[in-house]
Amino acid sequence: MAEELIQVDLKGKEGAIRVRSKVSLWLKRGIPLLILAILALLPVFQIVEGTLNYWIHMLMYVFLYVIMSSSWNIIGGFAGYVSLGHNVFFALGAYFAGMLFLATRISPFISAPVAGLLAMGFGLLFGLIALRTRGSTFIISTIALVLLMAELFDNWKLTGGTNGLALPLIDLPGQFAKIPYYYYLLVVMVLCVVASYFIKHSKFGLALRAISQDETKAEVAGIPTRKYKILAFGLSGLFIGVAGAVWGSYLTYLRPSIFLTVSLGTSIVLNTILGGKGTIAGPVVGTAIMIAVNEFVVAKLGATELNIVVTGLILIFVLLFFPEGIVGSLKARNKLPSFLDWD
Amino acid sequence: MIQVIQILILGIALGGVYALMSSGMTLIFGVMRIVNLAHSAFIVLAAYLAFFVFKTFNIDPIVSMAFTMPVMFLVGVIYYRLLFASRADNPRFADITVLVTFATALVIEGILAFIFTGIYRSTTPTYAKTSINFGPFFIPQSQLYALIISIVLIVGLWMFMRYTRIGNAIRATMQNRNAAQVVGVNVTWISTLSFGIGLAMAGAAGSLLSFVFTFYPAKHIAWIGMIMCLVVLGGMGSLVGALVSSFLLATAAAYVNFYFGAAWSPITFYLSLFLILLFRPQGLFGKKVEG
Amino acid sequence: MGTLVVENVVAGYGSGPNILKGLSLTVESGKAYCIIGPNGAGKSTLIKVIAGLLKPREGKIFFKGEDITPLRADQVLQRGLCYVPSDRSLFPDMTVKENLRMGGFVMRDTRKVDERIDELFAQFPILKEKSSQMAKTLSGGQQQLAAIARAMVLKPEMIMLDEPSLGLSPKVVQQIFGTITTLRDQGLTILLVEQNARKGLQIADMGVVLDLGTNSFEAPACDVLNDPRIQELYLGKRHQAVAAEECK
Repeated sequence: MAEELIQVDLKGKEGAIRVRSKVSLWLKRGIPLLILAILALLPVFQIVEGTLNYWIHMLMYVFLYVIMSSSWNIIGGFAGYVSLGHNVFFALGAYFAGMLFLATRISPFISAPVAGLLAMGFGLLFGLIALRTRGSTFIISTIALVLLMAELFDNWKLTGGTNGLALPLIDLPGQFAKIPYYYYLLVVMVLCVVASYFIKHSKFGLALRAISQDETKAEVAGIPTRKYKILAFGLSGLFIGVAGAVWGSYLTYLRPSIFLTVSLGTSIVLNTILGGKGTIAGPVVGTAIMIAVNEFVVAKLGATELNIVVTGLILIFVLLFFPEGIVGSLKARNKLPSFLDWD
Repeated sequence: MIQVIQILILGIALGGVYALMSSGMTLIFGVMRIVNLAHSAFIVLAAYLAFFVFKTFNIDPIVSMAFTMPVMFLVGVIYYRLLFASRADNPRFADITVLVTFATALVIEGILAFIFTGIYRSTTPTYAKTSINFGPFFIPQSQLYALIISIVLIVGLWMFMRYTRIGNAIRATMQNRNAAQVVGVNVTWISTLSFGIGLAMAGAAGSLLSFVFTFYPAKHIAWIGMIMCLVVLGGMGSLVGALVSSFLLATAAAYVNFYFGAAWSPITFYLSLFLILLFRPQGLFGKKVEG
Repeated sequence: MGTLVVENVVAGYGSGPNILKGLSLTVESGKAYCIIGPNGAGKSTLIKVIAGLLKPREGKIFFKGEDITPLRADQVLQRGLCYVPSDRSLFPDMTVKENLRMGGFVMRDTRKVDERIDELFAQFPILKEKSSQMAKTLSGGQQQLAAIARAMVLKPEMIMLDEPSLGLSPKVVQQIFGTITTLRDQGLTILLVEQNARKGLQIADMGVVLDLGTNSFEAPACDVLNDPRIQELYLGKRHQAVAAEECK
């Protein structure tokens, strides 16, 4: 009798869940797609009205940082290896495409994927050395990489030293100048987030997550941890390299003081951790919030010095009290709105 | 030949200060497994303290160490208690602390830039401008003083660790935190104290650097790069290692500076870091197991 | 009234589940107790709670009539209750003598500590021989001996040993248990946690079986050793092959 009751109860619940899951599936897929559609249509308004330059620029910032954070997530979030030096890929992509353009006039739009592959190759090579270590030593080696690269690029004649390289403006009227970059970055961003989803749910991604839980056990379980870590590190450079090529051409000047600062490498990490490392939506959410906060701080307080104070304080607060980030913490409490649950 | 020896003298003089800079960081890592990426930011903070006291009250930066060291000790104690003490058992402690300390460095940098702006500063006691000559060689007076004081402080730290009850407890905690607890060492208290001592060393280093180098708020980035290389090369948590690598790299960098140009001397540090990672990831004096 | 009384202790790590679930235990003065039980039964957790290294969520612990539940680890040591962890937990880069000195860390009087160390060196000549060697150079058995001696520096009334036989060869295990027997004969109260249940029970007065965080069975060691259920579960014996185990 009691068993029957429980079964009936279960059936009722299941039914309710099924109905609710249909609605939530709609919301889950619908809201992100709607946002994406708006983003895709925004430049049309820019072409017609011409008043959205600021928004286009800000959104491009978001796209760029989402690409970087989402990529970082592959090694930092899934595998648990925190790298503070991922902007090196960004710099490599930018300098490669920029120098190639100056030498051969090949558009960065065309060379960007090659820049991505180059960055990935570099990632594999660096990973071969740095991933011999774990934990703190690994993190240190990634900071040292940024500092080393900054020194090299500062002193290298070929890259223009501290003055950097100047690239020509794109040959379009000011009103439209941003639009090709905008779409390029938008597409790369979508590809990058989708790729991160597929990586996370592949066998490879599962192995990476096992490594982040307990590397020794993962190894005992037969996962070729070293190979996978290096591959993950390389992969995480791919899209950042592409974005670097595009962004360099957009900025029209390449300088170590823009691309190779430790704080840029840190903000990639901050955005991901704020959003929720290891989650798919986390880097997107974290980036959007951080860019909004930075804009607000600079606009209201006007001082860039205070900007890094705020960045630092947010990072400390999140790390100590919400190490799982926004998406991770909400999910753990079962309060994550379904449209942000992309896993 | 004279040139070669002269460079060696200057290299060794700098090595002393580097050793002081890295000793605090390595102590903090050894006891708490915290990679204190804010260490150089605290050094810069102390340099500004010395600068402020020098400008306002005209107190010599060496004299004002009697002030900067205790202040930095307190800062360390409060900082550790506030942020880290309750989290020492967290399995993700190492990752979290690296990022938290780096964020702290950014906060310090921002606040210093806000108060003192980005202008290059230094304290200028009379000895900052003169050199001592002996035969064909010379050593800047400031660097000689910095070297002597650094050595005194490092030897003092070593004796403290070796011959006092509390020093023994610190060493015990570095070697085996669990065992230290078992024999009745209050590791939370020892950790707090060690963080304080580590930052007191940073305070001393800051005071000395204030008249050896120029500094500005973002200077901590270059310095942390250097200190990290020293600490990793020596073996994380090994005081002897930090000492040896400091003198080794300072001298090497001095030669590189002379023969290849100033731009290449920081690169010496980073390259040596990657070389050691390639061939001996645990560092010169480190142990194989690493967290 | 026993010398150590554990009352309804509930304990676990961090925010994890309860490992001890209302465990009670009374230890009589001067006797040797052996705690056996499957992995995860909470044997080591119990010892950590008693030693003051892990605060219980509920329940109380009394030692010689005093409530020691709120005390820190160093305060528990000062009451004469010492602990030897299962991984020996020596200080690898300190000499054997320095390790023993650390054993007397909670004693302020260093001269007394040195006197105690001399007494212990007389008792364990092998440690005296190795006194200026780094602890990491000792063999497993020597390390275990050093860990026991380190706990003995405080002249405790009661000593808790967590898996002293772990990772040691049978011959060395024999020696270590010989040492423990000597300590027992000197009148020390002993609480021993042992995977090697047979060996442990053979030298104990009382056997305690822990299961799933509660005390499921407590009896004279001899009875535990010869209990058919225990034999099947923990001693790897089948019913029919019951031969009386020799015991104390």
